[in-house]
Amino acid sequence: MSLLDSLAAGLALVGNFEAFLMLFVGLVVGVVAGAIPGLSATMAVALTLPFTFSMTPINAILLLLGVYKGGIFGGSIPAILIKTPGTPASSATILDGHPMAERGEAGRALGMALYASCTADAVSNLALILFAGWLASFALNFGPPEFFALILFSLTIIAGVSGESLMRGALSALAGLLLATVGLDLVYGTNRFTFGDPNMMGGLNFIAVLIGLFAIPEIISMAWNPVAHLGRTRALGKSRCSWADYVGSFKSIIRGSMIGVFLGSIPGIGAAPSAFLSYSEARRTSKNKDNFGKGEIEGVAASEAGNNGVAGATLIPLLALGVPGDVITAIIIGAFMVHGLQPGPMMFILNVDIIYGLFIGLIVSSVFLLVVGSVAIRGFRFVADVPKRILMPAVLVLCIYGVFAVNNNIFDVGVMFVMGWVGYVMMRNRIPAAPFLIAFILGPLLEDNFRQSMLMSGSDPIILFRGPITWFFWFLTFVTVFAITRSTLRKKVPLS
Amino acid sequence: MKLRTLGSVLALGVGLTAGAAMAEYPERPINMIIPYGAGGATDISARTIAEPLGEAVGKALVMANVTGAGGATGSVAVQNAKADGYTMLFARVGSHSVNPAMKATLPYTLDDFRFVTVYEINPVACAVRPDSGINSMDDLVAKVNKGGVSYSSSGVGSLLHLAGAMVLKEFGVEDPLGSATHIPQQGGGAAATAVLNGTATFICTNSSALASFVANEQLKPLMVTTAEPVVGFDAPTANDLGKPNLNQLVGWTGIAGPDDLPDDVAAKWGEWMAAATADETFRTSMEERGSVIELMDPAEANAFILEQYNTFKALVDELGMRIEG
Amino acid sequence: MSEKSLHLRLGIFTCLVALFLIFVAIPNFVFSPSNVGNIILSPLFWPYVLAGLTGIVGLGLLANGVTSSNDALYEDEESVHPEGSAPWMRLAALACIMVLVMFGLPRLGMVWTAMLAFAACAFLFRTRHPIAAVVCAVIVPLLLYAFFAHVAGVAIPQGNFVRLP
Repeated sequence: MSLLDSLAAGLALVGNFEAFLMLFVGLVVGVVAGAIPGLSATMAVALTLPFTFSMTPINAILLLLGVYKGGIFGGSIPAILIKTPGTPASSATILDGHPMAERGEAGRALGMALYASCTADAVSNLALILFAGWLASFALNFGPPEFFALILFSLTIIAGVSGESLMRGALSALAGLLLATVGLDLVYGTNRFTFGDPNMMGGLNFIAVLIGLFAIPEIISMAWNPVAHLGRTRALGKSRCSWADYVGSFKSIIRGSMIGVFLGSIPGIGAAPSAFLSYSEARRTSKNKDNFGKGEIEGVAASEAGNNGVAGATLIPLLALGVPGDVITAIIIGAFMVHGLQPGPMMFILNVDIIYGLFIGLIVSSVFLLVVGSVAIRGFRFVADVPKRILMPAVLVLCIYGVFAVNNNIFDVGVMFVMGWVGYVMMRNRIPAAPFLIAFILGPLLEDNFRQSMLMSGSDPIILFRGPITWFFWFLTFVTVFAITRSTLRKKVPLS
Repeated sequence: MKLRTLGSVLALGVGLTAGAAMAEYPERPINMIIPYGAGGATDISARTIAEPLGEAVGKALVMANVTGAGGATGSVAVQNAKADGYTMLFARVGSHSVNPAMKATLPYTLDDFRFVTVYEINPVACAVRPDSGINSMDDLVAKVNKGGVSYSSSGVGSLLHLAGAMVLKEFGVEDPLGSATHIPQQGGGAAATAVLNGTATFICTNSSALASFVANEQLKPLMVTTAEPVVGFDAPTANDLGKPNLNQLVGWTGIAGPDDLPDDVAAKWGEWMAAATADETFRTSMEERGSVIELMDPAEANAFILEQYNTFKALVDELGMRIEG
Repeated sequence: MSEKSLHLRLGIFTCLVALFLIFVAIPNFVFSPSNVGNIILSPLFWPYVLAGLTGIVGLGLLANGVTSSNDALYEDEESVHPEGSAPWMRLAALACIMVLVMFGLPRLGMVWTAMLAFAACAFLFRTRHPIAAVVCAVIVPLLLYAFFAHVAGVAIPQGNFVRLP
């Protein structure tokens, strides 16, 4: 079948009202779910899955993809408005989005988040359609040694988000790495810092740590000084994202989309690291470098482009190899299988109409996201106008519900509270929280891949340099470390 | 004072509900805890049976994933719950026969649970990459004896971990732990990927997790552990190869409550499960995924799990795989 | 506070934490099987590496604190809180609320606990809209309950006393 035939077959499949309605409904559900802290995109997709059993395969999968994409964007709304990321993927958006909201520019930040998300989404979908086959064959070259080198490089992001002192950033990152060792050991299954508590054996829940670190300290600060915010503008104002804003950040958006596509096509990394990497790259190259972290619109654009760029690309290993890139695509694979479809190379031959139907649906989804997102922003804007001393208790209650819902476990609520106090102490001592979070995500990956590599090679470290991919990341790591060291020394800012 | 009014409202509520006598079970929704993450084998199985089961029960079933520590976190939540039949667990081979057999530090034992049913059996299959040059179990064993063979699993104490060692042991490898390296991964999906990308040599896991790879000829099945062949798997059964002992090595999903679950509750579950597993849509969708529907009543389920546990325990003790500390 | 004194303080604290990890926490709370073939595969290896790095960063902070001449006070920091000890009391009260929430969740149920926590926090923050706060305290947890329990299908803890439909 030629490309045109395939396209026609795909169009015949999705060219009905119901398919587009499902996509639209999915996006609405996703944005709303993503906007509620604790209801991650993963959960939203998982909760939608049972509803899809009775649908035709293409409608079912479009609905799920809609929820997924909507969820990733929706997470940025509370990240900007109340400093509580709706999904882990939007944690990088807090860094600049929330300061903008504090300045009364929430509308501008949200607008930029939406435009960056839609652009990245479109780039990502295009990449999926054009490169699926090629990128997928590349992805299978990633074994533990490649992952180890990649994650080591990703840890250099920490320098970018450390703020005024690299040393305090490193301290924060180490605390995150140490906390991530809690749980059962990967290779031997023994207890590490669990104190015999079954709740700790699974490791500390990532969402609980994340919300505790970012949302709860705000509430504690409120108790320290309930009137500190008075006199500062918090209203949303009339600020909007202008065309000039978009053009100014366009380079970062495209770069972020590329990073998202690249990381998304490798199974097992996910949207949060991609957002942070895109953010730190934008910061490194921007002329407004010093304004990053204080409410720079380019930072919002970069992180949102980074996390949405992943959404289309995670489908590359899924469709081309049947390998799920993250938990969400694992659930979507479940949906394929329920309908008797088996993702993999054979699918491009046996079910080519479904593949092309999906491609068409995905292209439309970027446009739908723009529509749904604009409406959602208007709907959620009022959150910024609520008196802060009533908003904060509401955030507390929302966090309690949300963190509980992640794993149906009251223990996680306790983790969130404790991390809240840790985060508050860190805030008072000017220790940045972002490195903590990045290290908490990447630390276990680094350790696991290191030990898996050692198991593979019988403890021979040479395996960590086994091929061009590892060399490439080692090279990048050295260049970045060198650049960081040189710029710190040259600026005569002491290494602290 | 606002708090006081709130308090009196609360007190009033308490008075109202305290009056209501114990009605017939179930009088409210039942919490069903899934000790593994969304999208996994247990989760899909549980959510598929929830449809017909909900109809049989007549009250809503609230599904709750409590993930962590290879199923231990969710299992403990049920172990500590009140035995009123309103908190039940989807127990799985990993959490309730491999884990208790392997982990000395596990916070529960089999005696802490009362199984009301096992409803699904998953055959286990072993597979390698087609370009590995391994075409049969004998090839694999020969290669193991030469050294440098590894197998992937979804973590320490998972079915996959034990299955790799048990299969090699059955096929005459003297010291499976020393001659083949176990490379644990985070989760079942990652374990299959590890074989695909050459990190590990072979994998033994539920046939449903391998079905799509086998259909796409990305993985080559070497054998299945059931007595009957598995549809879609062009490989000999354990009985064909003369290793009927491996029939014990299967995955299963069942439902359990805390150990002091009342008899009438257990009996009710027996009736409900009989109705639910008779559902045609349920059967077809489960069988399409490679599961065998086999309903056991509480006594059969307990005997089945105990037998599997004892087999695994003996193997673990013989090979010194037990995890202390 | 100045950067010098901050780093001095953090440095001392970090070094103590590193020592605590190396000599007390890791030997006692990280378990390693006796048959580990290679030291780098041991469950102890990574925690020790991290503890060592913590020590190095601690020494770095300390060295920086000792040698740094940057004694200027941070500008954006309040030196003396206008209310004396009242903020500390409020922090303690908030901590108490959190502990009580943890105590109340399994017993009272999430909805009632959240209502009490909401009201308590709003009054702790001395809201200017007490009536609105109480109304919100009742409505927000109920709405969230309705959403999570009936739309998202989450098993929100109900407690032993008043069960919601």
